[in-house]
Amino acid sequence: MITADLVEEVSQSLYSASLRRVPPDTLRALEAARSNEESDSGRATLDLMLRSAKLAETNDKFVCSDSGVPTYLLEIGGNARWQGNLKAAITRGFARLVETIQPPLLKHVNNPLTNERGGMGKDMPAITVDLLGEADYIDITCIPKALGSGRWASIRTLISPSLEDIEASILEAIIEAGSQHCPPVVVGVGIGGNFDLTAKLANKATYREIGSVNPDPTLAAMEERLTEAANATGFGPMGVGGSTTALAVHIDYAFGHGYTPIAVCFNCWINRRAKARLYSDGRVERLV
Amino acid sequence: MATINLSMPPSPEAVAALEVGDLVYLSGEIVVTGGLPAHKRLIEYLQEGRALPVPMNGVFLHLPHMVEERPGGGFDIHYVNPTTSRRFDAYMPELIEGFDLKIVGGKGGLAPEVARTMARRGCVYLSLLGGGSPILSAAIKEVLAVEWRDFPPHFRLSKLRVEMLGPLTVGIDARGNSIYEQLEVRARERVPEILAQLRARRDAAEAAIASAGGNE
Repeated sequence: MITADLVEEVSQSLYSASLRRVPPDTLRALEAARSNEESDSGRATLDLMLRSAKLAETNDKFVCSDSGVPTYLLEIGGNARWQGNLKAAITRGFARLVETIQPPLLKHVNNPLTNERGGMGKDMPAITVDLLGEADYIDITCIPKALGSGRWASIRTLISPSLEDIEASILEAIIEAGSQHCPPVVVGVGIGGNFDLTAKLANKATYREIGSVNPDPTLAAMEERLTEAANATGFGPMGVGGSTTALAVHIDYAFGHGYTPIAVCFNCWINRRAKARLYSDGRVERLV
Repeated sequence: MATINLSMPPSPEAVAALEVGDLVYLSGEIVVTGGLPAHKRLIEYLQEGRALPVPMNGVFLHLPHMVEERPGGGFDIHYVNPTTSRRFDAYMPELIEGFDLKIVGGKGGLAPEVARTMARRGCVYLSLLGGGSPILSAAIKEVLAVEWRDFPPHFRLSKLRVEMLGPLTVGIDARGNSIYEQLEVRARERVPEILAQLRARRDAAEAAIASAGGNE
């Protein structure tokens, strides 16, 4: 049985872990970018990023001071057995992290109505739920979302767009974000569905492993050419110029109405994310 | 792309000699904050002609910091890291003029209008690495003052002593040349070419998929 206590414990530890290292796929992508980067300052910046990542991991430090706001994705298998109030468990896990983590977190959770800052607040953490088919586990993904990795997300809605219209719209979102989101970023794109579904698809697309190939050949080709397009913009590492603006573009889609929402979101170069699988028998496997 | 060590307070000549893309290390005293409320309060101090609790010395960075006062005195320096400067665009021209700032910095640059003020006042913008906390924090040698403690820690106004803080990239020079402005203009100019490239690649990919029979 997956207990609420276990979910609380995993929620706490995933958040803490996500702050202290750059995931392996992202490190590999940064190293590859370093060998391909065309500008001097771009290469210098990528070197610095790799050094920062190494120092954080070796010395158990936060990579970034902005620990962001917590977001958790719960993917629940149809045969997973669980008991208790999972929402409360995740909230407790994050609260316990805020109380106990060393060094302390800066207080980034903001009341949008008053601009008061604190460690916790209504509907924090932001929890998204998805249903998996027959699996006997729950996957929990934790992403701290800070300004660089959150502010520049957008949704544009087009009427019966062609693929060309869709790609132009994605390029516009990338240029609008420009130098601001701590590039090189992972770009997540959702196409179709409805307002909340397309946002969810885009967000989940950023979680995908860099280097993984989209199983849909149309999307795989689209991802490849849009990554090139993003890098042709020239914003470069930290937005001070260069040929690496995106480490990857990941795309997902859903059938929808003729009006087609297109969501584009970003994860900054440290691409913070941590994921664990909780099996019905209580085992926990760390995936990312 | 030169690498330059600057001691604080910076001489106007040394600042004027910096060019976009140069790498800079700062040593000496710097004033920092990460907060919008702190910017508003700085403007109030200027308008009321009041002396700041932390006097400016020409260097002002958007650098949120987590420091805690020890019970016996002194501070624990936990970490620092830059924040997005663009959200302070509206305040920066008045602050640069009013406090005679020569070096400002953070991440993401400042608006073209701010760069105009910077050119008039001989001020540069330095880009700090977002996600560079382990490197940047190690350069903080001493916390000299932490004021406006009614704000959360990262919004406070603090003075730090740093040694070789960097490398920081010159994003806007003292003549108002802004890499951010140039890159945005260039990206917009490139859009037709990028779209044409996308179209060619899309046509080729669709033909390949059709001939493989993978996507009928």
